Amino acid sequence: MVHISDGVLDPWLWESGWVIIAVILAYTLSKMKTDDVPKLSVITAAVFVASLIHMQVGPTSVHFILNGFAGVMLGILAFPCIFVALVLQCFLFGHGGVTTIGINTVNMGVPALIAYLIFKTGTKLDIRPETKSKVTLFGAIAGGVGVVLALLLLATELITTGEAFYETTVLVVTAHLPIIAIEAIFTGVLAGFIATVKPEMFGEK
Amino acid sequence: MISEIDRYAGISSPIHRWDPRFRLISIFALIFSVMLLYNLQLVMIGMIFAIILTCISKIPLSFVLSRMKLVFIFVIPFFIIIPFTVIGDGVEIASFGGITLSYRGIEYVKFAAMIVLKALTAVMLIFPMVGTSRMDITIKALEGLHMPNKLVQMFAFTYRYIFVLDDEFTRMDRSLTSRGFKRQGNLYTLTTISKAIAMLFVNSYERADRVFYAMRSKGYSGTVATLHEFHTRWQDWVNTAVVVGFAVLLQVAATSDTFSAARGFL
Repeated sequence: MVHISDGVLDPWLWESGWVIIAVILAYTLSKMKTDDVPKLSVITAAVFVASLIHMQVGPTSVHFILNGFAGVMLGILAFPCIFVALVLQCFLFGHGGVTTIGINTVNMGVPALIAYLIFKTGTKLDIRPETKSKVTLFGAIAGGVGVVLALLLLATELITTGEAFYETTVLVVTAHLPIIAIEAIFTGVLAGFIATVKPEMFGEK
Repeated sequence: MISEIDRYAGISSPIHRWDPRFRLISIFALIFSVMLLYNLQLVMIGMIFAIILTCISKIPLSFVLSRMKLVFIFVIPFFIIIPFTVIGDGVEIASFGGITLSYRGIEYVKFAAMIVLKALTAVMLIFPMVGTSRMDITIKALEGLHMPNKLVQMFAFTYRYIFVLDDEFTRMDRSLTSRGFKRQGNLYTLTTISKAIAMLFVNSYERADRVFYAMRSKGYSGTVATLHEFHTRWQDWVNTAVVVGFAVLLQVAATSDTFSAARGFL
């Protein structure tokens, strides 16, 4: 969805995107254990595959973004995972752009980190089948917030680039409004389901 | 559902024989150089160079175009929206009810064309960049370029699992369909799909555990092991010099008076 193509933004915007992700990647990678790599990769791949599923909502076809969900599941390690997913998406499908990988990772990854923060403070990471309703609620909030923030970042960047993009921004944001609700429900259901079936998936990171 | 970018990695061409480490760096530099341009003629020259590189790599044009179709769908709205916007100042062309369609002038057409061309150039360059060697060799090349080991491993594993999980989800989708499930725009569809995906997550998580222990017990230590060894020949340096030289030349031309345009354009 909110993948910015090459050549759209002002150079200083995507250049600073690379700088920001270099800093956050360096920090999050230092927190990652080598033994976690296979598990993180498989969840990254699952997020990748799930984001390819299209659903018909009204006249448009929408798909999941799942950045809030990645934050809920992976914590701060969601950031490198989103980076990997975006790089692969760019090279496998041509979605997004090469030079804009940095800024796109910021757009998706920073909201993921904030979504995690909300989920963490809301549930205090006390995840058991008994606390399912709480997990579902805060999962839903985190999922919705992830998309809202991603849209806000995207809109800010497009408008900063030039007034020529004003109409495009309005169009993109309007088109994604239903996704906020969808994503919130989806993340809530998923978090609740995993809390019942395999709560230890949240714990290990 | 997902087609592999390295489908034509097996054919032989000067680009295929180019050391992947040098190839990745050079073409990456070229993409950045083209994206920094703000002059339509120079972007066109960049595009022509990208087409030449793709032709040399002998990757079938039909394959390239089928991939570029997606990007085209994504960027073509810019071409329509930017020069002819509903709101804003410009020459009025038509009005339907309360909406006025106005034309903003040739600079906006040029600007939109430049965005579309740049996006297409970047995608086209991906083919000679990563489409000309097998993905595992590309990943080994990333390691050779001293990318952080954890990231290299994540690329390798994620790339592998995408295809596995895609098959798995297709299977799940088929069994849902055979039980009479139809995707519609309602809450029921959403929760059903959510639960199917949740199951996909749980399954794949358990699978990752099993695979990891199996790999560990067979001596996996985190380095990328392939039978491929990189040998640098003088030809690699020549190719690199040509591509990087071209990228630098574009930037030099952009600062000269003939093609000068302010950074940011609008």
